[in-house]
Amino acid sequence: MFIQFRKKTSKTFGQQFLQAVLQCGALFALAVFFGFSFNQFRDSRLPLFEDWSMEARLISSSGERLDITLIEAKKLFLQEAAIIVDARPNDDYEKGHIRGARSLPWHDVDQRFMEVTKDISVDTLIITYCDGETCELSHNLANFLLELGFNNVRILVNGWTKWQNADLPIEKEDAD
Amino acid sequence: MKKRKYISRFFYHSARLVLGVIFIYASYDKILHPKAFAEVIYNYQILPNGLINVTAIFLPWLEILMGVFLIVGFWMPGTILWCNILLVVYIGALCFNLARGIDVNCGCFSTTKGSSISIETILWDAAFLALSVYLFFVVFGLKFNEGSK
Repeated sequence: MFIQFRKKTSKTFGQQFLQAVLQCGALFALAVFFGFSFNQFRDSRLPLFEDWSMEARLISSSGERLDITLIEAKKLFLQEAAIIVDARPNDDYEKGHIRGARSLPWHDVDQRFMEVTKDISVDTLIITYCDGETCELSHNLANFLLELGFNNVRILVNGWTKWQNADLPIEKEDAD
Repeated sequence: MKKRKYISRFFYHSARLVLGVIFIYASYDKILHPKAFAEVIYNYQILPNGLINVTAIFLPWLEILMGVFLIVGFWMPGTILWCNILLVVYIGALCFNLARGIDVNCGCFSTTKGSSISIETILWDAAFLALSVYLFFVVFGLKFNEGSK
């Protein structure tokens, strides 16, 4: 009932589909033209190609490496010389986290960073972590904290898995 | 019969306008913040690194053009075909990352944080796809040849 009002067309489905494909191509060309033209003349121009490799993403804007090894992280943990921040969602944090780590889920960072960082000075060493070699939450959180002015932020890549595999102290929210 | 025709027209134009507004709304923030949108695309971990920025530059413009064309009713066959293709790709990307447990920002309507992917986002996209498929059937006249008398 809802699809019967259109006028009959002399075109076959094949002809209509060919017309649609040609229009798709034209629409794509227009999008490319507008997109690249607009990008070319805007102030914050996005480069066409950028190094998105994991190595490049572990370098801060000031050229400093952000990643930290498990051995270094363990040493700092035992010396209580760093604040460890869990960037995973709250549910994952509650299921288990590095002992003493604070929860600052990346997706809620705007709402929670004040509460979590209010007693941290800008020079304090902060180690962020999430789970998985390609997990971006800890990277995003580290860059966010650097932008806020914290100047001593490091990332423990794949932190949760590495920490558990090394049998280092963990805790669950229930146990608190 | 006439009443049916009016109802059909109403549904067709409503679906066209709703989908058009959705695509324009979805593209707006991405055009304003291309770097953040590139981050969203990177986080999905589907595209090769060399295509991330290029996609972040043209994709929001494809969406805004589709939105405008849907509203004004221009190049409907091509626009509807793109709608269906894009929505299927978006749903595929959401399902893929949800299945492998990667927690990413959806980036569906905004590049800002706080909208991670979930079943809900997939259902929303599925609803938009249903509208788009309906428009595909209308625009391509499927069934109506034997239906209209």
